[in-house]
Amino acid sequence: MTHGLPRILIIDDEPQIHRFLIPALEAAGYDPIRADTGEGGLRQMATRAPDGVILDLGLPDMDGKDLLEKARRFYEGPVLVLSARHRELEKIDALDLGADDYMEKPFNVGELLARLRAMLRRGPHVEAPRKAVRAGALEIDLDMRLVRRDGQPVRLSPKEFELLRGLVEADGRVVSHRQLLTAVWGPAHEHDVQYLRVFVGQLRQKLEPEPAAPRHIITEAGVGYRFLTT
Amino acid sequence: MTQPLRLRGDSGPALGGAGRYLAATALVLAVDAGVWAWGGGLGGPNLAMLFLAPVVVSAVAFGLGPALVSAALAVISFNFLFIAPRFTFRIERPADLLTFSMFFVVAMATGWLAGRARDEARNARRQAATISLLLDASRSLTAATTPGDVAQALADHAMAIGAGAAVVLLPGPEGLRLEGGPARLGRLSPETEAAAREVFETGAPPVGARSAGDWRFQTLEGSQGRLGVVGLRGQGGPPDNGATDALIRQGAVALERAMLATAMIENQGLRRADQLRSALLNSISHDFRTPLSTVLGSATTLLDFQDDLRPAVRRDLLESIQEEALRLNRYVGDLLDMARLEAGALEPRQARTDVRTIVDSALARLGDRLGRRRVERDFASDLPSLNLDPTLLEQALLNILENATIHGPDGARITITARAEASGLMLSIEDDGPGIPAEARADIFNRFRRLERGTDRGEGLGLGLSIAKGFIEAMGGAITATPPLTPDGGARFLIVLPWTTPTLRASQ
Repeated sequence: MTHGLPRILIIDDEPQIHRFLIPALEAAGYDPIRADTGEGGLRQMATRAPDGVILDLGLPDMDGKDLLEKARRFYEGPVLVLSARHRELEKIDALDLGADDYMEKPFNVGELLARLRAMLRRGPHVEAPRKAVRAGALEIDLDMRLVRRDGQPVRLSPKEFELLRGLVEADGRVVSHRQLLTAVWGPAHEHDVQYLRVFVGQLRQKLEPEPAAPRHIITEAGVGYRFLTT
Repeated sequence: MTQPLRLRGDSGPALGGAGRYLAATALVLAVDAGVWAWGGGLGGPNLAMLFLAPVVVSAVAFGLGPALVSAALAVISFNFLFIAPRFTFRIERPADLLTFSMFFVVAMATGWLAGRARDEARNARRQAATISLLLDASRSLTAATTPGDVAQALADHAMAIGAGAAVVLLPGPEGLRLEGGPARLGRLSPETEAAAREVFETGAPPVGARSAGDWRFQTLEGSQGRLGVVGLRGQGGPPDNGATDALIRQGAVALERAMLATAMIENQGLRRADQLRSALLNSISHDFRTPLSTVLGSATTLLDFQDDLRPAVRRDLLESIQEEALRLNRYVGDLLDMARLEAGALEPRQARTDVRTIVDSALARLGDRLGRRRVERDFASDLPSLNLDPTLLEQALLNILENATIHGPDGARITITARAEASGLMLSIEDDGPGIPAEARADIFNRFRRLERGTDRGEGLGLGLSIAKGFIEAMGGAITATPPLTPDGGARFLIVLPWTTPTLRASQ
């Protein structure tokens, strides 16, 4: 009935969450549809082709991660997961399984909508990675392996560059520690989070205007990092 | 101060060492005098027999040493006084020489045998007494359950065995503490405490420890290390055949056992508290998050889209904020009630209470949550009033009714009946929801117990019934989940409230 509006599927077993999310999404110009179970959510993802999905990981009938894994076999649109604050592992697993972003409960509707907008702007999950970006005073060309800050070339070691590539290619999405470690150092080092701390620190020294208060390479505590262009 | 070992059944004269020899000598001299006064003309073997009497008496009464002394004295005085030539030690007649020799041998042998028999009997009695004391000690050491009790028992028994005074010091958070000793002892002097500490720390009796108020300290060694020290003072009297050492070893074993038992009880308590804490954290994380998400989500929706929302939607969001805030308030109340029960801080008042009014006010508090459910009341007309805490009863009933609204469908029936019985007021609350499976009835009152059925998620903390049970038991009552009266009935709770509540204590 609301053709033309981006359709957002909300998968949550708590009726109270639908009660405010649906009017909020409608007011923000979306076409929200609702599923109260994981099973129903999967079915609607397959049949109603939502432009984006908001998925609560704590579903009674199905593990949210299982749902995500099944969904990613056929669904390429962006998925934002809702999760409890203390369940870092759940968030990390969800990101590794193809979630695009996460929000901790309880959340601010304005922030959720901002994340949703960014997610939809990026488009489908398996889009070709971006090759060149500008972020403030930074120019990054991944194909040319070139990084400039205020027009001046910045020298990065090969590992630093690979790390930056991993972050930039995610295009604003959170990249988990494991994903970054596997991409840069290989699967044998997927638990060596201290490597990341050191190299992220070095990258911030070289790229951030204020390394102590980073604007581009943002820490997602306990989960990973994301690269923001603003 | 010296209080020597008292031997049960030892009725002999309580004479010291020198006294016994003096008495033996006096006996011989008395016989000498008697025979002399009688004329002393008898002479020969007959007279010698008389002189054996003091030897035998001394042996039996005073032991081996005095017996031998009296034998020697009897032989010498017999020779001196009654063998011709008298008043010399010479013996002229061969017959007298034979008598004298026989008497000498018999006197010495009698004295030796009788004296030794007496000493051995005495030793055997003392050993039996020691063993009996050690057995006593063992019994009371085993019965003592805390390290402090063991320490006191050990000190008492060390004193019973022969120490003038005994103290036991055990390590505490602030160093060694006096845990057992004579009631009138008061405090140990600083020097004595220093000596005890030195023994405890080094394991060896320090030089000059005796000068510290005459206390001698030794360590109590357990299998895993040093447990404490025991101090003895003024140990005198007869040797105790190592009884004190045996007692101290027994004490160490008992002490170690008591310390382990205490540690185990503390661990169990900690584990229980730990389980509760994690259940609590889990509950707060799970059950508080959804209402909080709703409140925050609805509030931010209203803030961000105020003008874009239809009035009906705005109103619905505000109502949901109100509902969820009330739900959170109930959760907080539940947690506080639980904490009060857990801390044993519940002090039920007593007041004349009419159960009908309490049921009414509980239903009133349930308010809108009752929905379209019908409540049927079946109260006996002659219900006497009760003497109990109306607030606790109302909260307990509210929790049970809440349970019925959570699990019974809207439009269902809740039946409340009340009857007077000899054991107390019998209150039954039954709904026609899905009921409680028979195997779950026993632990339905456990904390954070929730029957997971999908539909009733997020409807409560799983504390309500546990609190109801705690409150009812605190008032001396009882609550059970029973099978429904009719096959199509649901959950049924049976509450018995006593007519009189003699002692009111919060159940743990």
